[in-house]
Amino acid sequence: MAEKTWQNYKEKKHSKPSPLKGIRVLEVCTLILGPSGPCFAAAMGAEVIKCEVPPLGDTCRDMTPFGYLFRGYGPVFVHSNINKYWIGLDLHKTEAQEVFLELAAKSDIIEENLRPGVMESWNVGYRQIKEVNPGIIYIAKNGFGQWGQYAEENRPSNDGASQAFSGYAWMSNFPGQPPLKSRIYVCDDYGGLMGEVAVLAALHYRERTGKGQFIELSQSENIMRAMSWVWPYQQITGKVAMPAGNRDVSVCPADTFYCADDSFVAIAAPAPQEFRGLCLAMGRPELAEAPRFKDHLVRLREENATEILKLIADWARTKTSGEIKELAEKHGFAASPIYTVKDVVEDKHFQERGFVTELDDPLLGQYQDYEFPVMMSRTPPRVKWSVRAVGFDNEYVMVHHLGKSKDEIRRLYECGALGKWSDTPGRRPPIDWDGKAGLILARDSEGKE
Amino acid sequence: MEQPWVDWVKERDDPRMAHAKAEALDDITVLDLSYKSYAGCYCSSLLAEFGAEVLRIEPPEGNFLRTCTPYGMLYKGEGLNYLTEGRNKFHLTLDLRKLEGRKILKALVSQADVLIETYRPGVMDDWGIGYEQLKEINPRLIFASITGYGQFGPMSRSQMPDYDNIAQARSGIQSGTGEVMPEGKSYDECPWATPTKAGPWIGWAQPGTFMAIGILAALHWRGTTGEGQALDVATAEAYARFDDYAALWYQGTGVVAERFGSLDTAGWIYCFAPTKDGAVFLGGLRLEMWQAFADMVGKWDEWEAGSWTNLTIFTEKEQQLKWAPLVFAETGKYTNEELVNMSIGYAKKGRLAPITPVVAPVCSPQETMKDANWLDRGIFISVKDPLYGELIVAQAQHKMTETPIRTKWVCRPIGYDNEYIYLKYMGFGPSKLNKLKKAGII
Repeated sequence: MAEKTWQNYKEKKHSKPSPLKGIRVLEVCTLILGPSGPCFAAAMGAEVIKCEVPPLGDTCRDMTPFGYLFRGYGPVFVHSNINKYWIGLDLHKTEAQEVFLELAAKSDIIEENLRPGVMESWNVGYRQIKEVNPGIIYIAKNGFGQWGQYAEENRPSNDGASQAFSGYAWMSNFPGQPPLKSRIYVCDDYGGLMGEVAVLAALHYRERTGKGQFIELSQSENIMRAMSWVWPYQQITGKVAMPAGNRDVSVCPADTFYCADDSFVAIAAPAPQEFRGLCLAMGRPELAEAPRFKDHLVRLREENATEILKLIADWARTKTSGEIKELAEKHGFAASPIYTVKDVVEDKHFQERGFVTELDDPLLGQYQDYEFPVMMSRTPPRVKWSVRAVGFDNEYVMVHHLGKSKDEIRRLYECGALGKWSDTPGRRPPIDWDGKAGLILARDSEGKE
Repeated sequence: MEQPWVDWVKERDDPRMAHAKAEALDDITVLDLSYKSYAGCYCSSLLAEFGAEVLRIEPPEGNFLRTCTPYGMLYKGEGLNYLTEGRNKFHLTLDLRKLEGRKILKALVSQADVLIETYRPGVMDDWGIGYEQLKEINPRLIFASITGYGQFGPMSRSQMPDYDNIAQARSGIQSGTGEVMPEGKSYDECPWATPTKAGPWIGWAQPGTFMAIGILAALHWRGTTGEGQALDVATAEAYARFDDYAALWYQGTGVVAERFGSLDTAGWIYCFAPTKDGAVFLGGLRLEMWQAFADMVGKWDEWEAGSWTNLTIFTEKEQQLKWAPLVFAETGKYTNEELVNMSIGYAKKGRLAPITPVVAPVCSPQETMKDANWLDRGIFISVKDPLYGELIVAQAQHKMTETPIRTKWVCRPIGYDNEYIYLKYMGFGPSKLNKLKKAGII
């Protein structure tokens, strides 16, 4: 039956509607916390207009792993900004603020990640926008929210600060080792994701009542929300929650083990049948019946958990991670080798599902990236196009959305309200750009035909 | 603007006033059938925080997740993870392995908007309550499945269950996170210098959050067209989506992102640095912020910071390995508090003010929970629950002027709300409930 629902999902993705069709988002965001939320909305079909201050735009544009640019852009930037329209609008200028308000009057959602009060100082804060559009849903995302000591001290923040402030890094290394920063920008991306939960709930409310609202989000608070047992545990016991390496202290057994072929495997087998399956695979069926292991709550106790994990570790060292995965499949517990990014990108399952998906972009060419990870049978979200240079879609947005004439557009350029890229990495179009590919209503910046 | 922004907004979105305000989703009914999955419970919590009526359905013996609790610890009979995600939901029992149970489920489905389930693909179909079967009863239904491998694709019929640590392992993220093996050392000497997963259940909470926005987008679509649909989230895919650069880097160069400790492969200055009394995070993804750091610790001249013109060079591996010890030598001279204050002070009076480096103390979660800033902002407001007493579960993670989220109660024991919910939705009174109970249906 599920086969019927999902038959040819990947192939038919582009012949179905998008769930957020008709929703317009204005984005004034940089780095990852800000742009990731509108990126999720854009994957679901919202029209996202990204406003950047020309000529440099988003700080993330040239953020690179070890100095590496992907076809002229920082790969983090490419991944976090799909399906958007790009305008270079210098909101320091009165004329640009007027353009922004014209767009805001025709939009559903505003997303920004500046420090508190900055948008208002540019005359485009929530209080000013709701005068022209009372139904607007406006979300401000940053490190500390809009009020409170840290916000009022005007502290800057970013993902690593939130990993530090929240206790998330503390919980994420081996006992006795210093707290460890994740390789990914988990608090940025998670903040962006949680922000969309609030935005879409607000959209539902607006559809019922016509009312818009203001939403604020601190990336530190967001990751705290996802830390589950840590808070009541500390309240109840008066003790600090401690890190446990790769062991899951709430699920037993669940850990990462070193294998015979110098690889690592993650195993989880807490439920009765799963645990019996693992013991059988280990050739130790009697362990499943031992009083100290039989019941999950008893098995989770420190001394029992330590003992069973040691037994599994000794066994895992005699097998390859591939062998253990096969045994898990056979006996109904969970196991997986630790995938590298190569393993993920080349995984047949991820590819056949279209999670690893192919783009054919007029500017950046063909490449693969990860698809939006909610598959929707009637309205599939999808990655369509890649990033653009600063101000790349100025003409399209000014003409198509605001009906500006060539003269008006020229004046906006002349006063510096509108602008385009600087000739620097991450800002300009790819080196081999022909001056036309990807342009909508192909006009150049001077308004010449 | 007559009133300062900070005052205006706090007056309208302080979570302490949430209970007086409207709820965004109080017209939505959700059936949460998730089993053995924190992802499912977390997803329905996000909807329940907005006022959706969530019916949490578990088998008569209870959800196994209730036993997934740190060190086996129970509080008033309840596991701590389940306790945090039982919030605002009605807890009922129903045995879906029994035909009579499935009949009742179908009657509930005909009155619901959303169904969340986490069984292995095919299980719901075999029970006759898969999406194709239920959409006959309710074409407006949004049927949301969260599993380890997803509803289709070659691995979808795997017998393996879904757990957080498996999702983290399959995402490609764990492999590149962790400390670097010291030269000449082996796994046995340094078992901590290995691929390291995140401590919290991010491989479950995050897919649950993705599903929540999928559900909300599907509700929006349904509002326009009346059409329901099926949604499919695979936990490892959802988590992998947060890997922001590794796939492109690999395609472009063949480089597989490796562990780099608490430095950052893609950013400088962007690392944890040791201090007199712990560690701080240092952040500055603009050249000026890195220069401001050098200036702040009195190294402007010695490091010739004024002559730096390009930040990208500093992100290269050799440069990071060269500069990190120099930076750590400076941070080691100060306490966390001193460094934080230096950064705040630099923003006011420094040569590059208002530009200043990000400095944040690396906190234990106990320090986090006692931090006056977070207490003021309401994230740790304790819930006064009639059954569990005053309990702290993180809440108010975003703040809203019209429809703020709130936590009304934290959890309920197995089957606690059977009487109310079965009367409300099914018209079952005490005698019928007794019969169902004796038959093991509820």
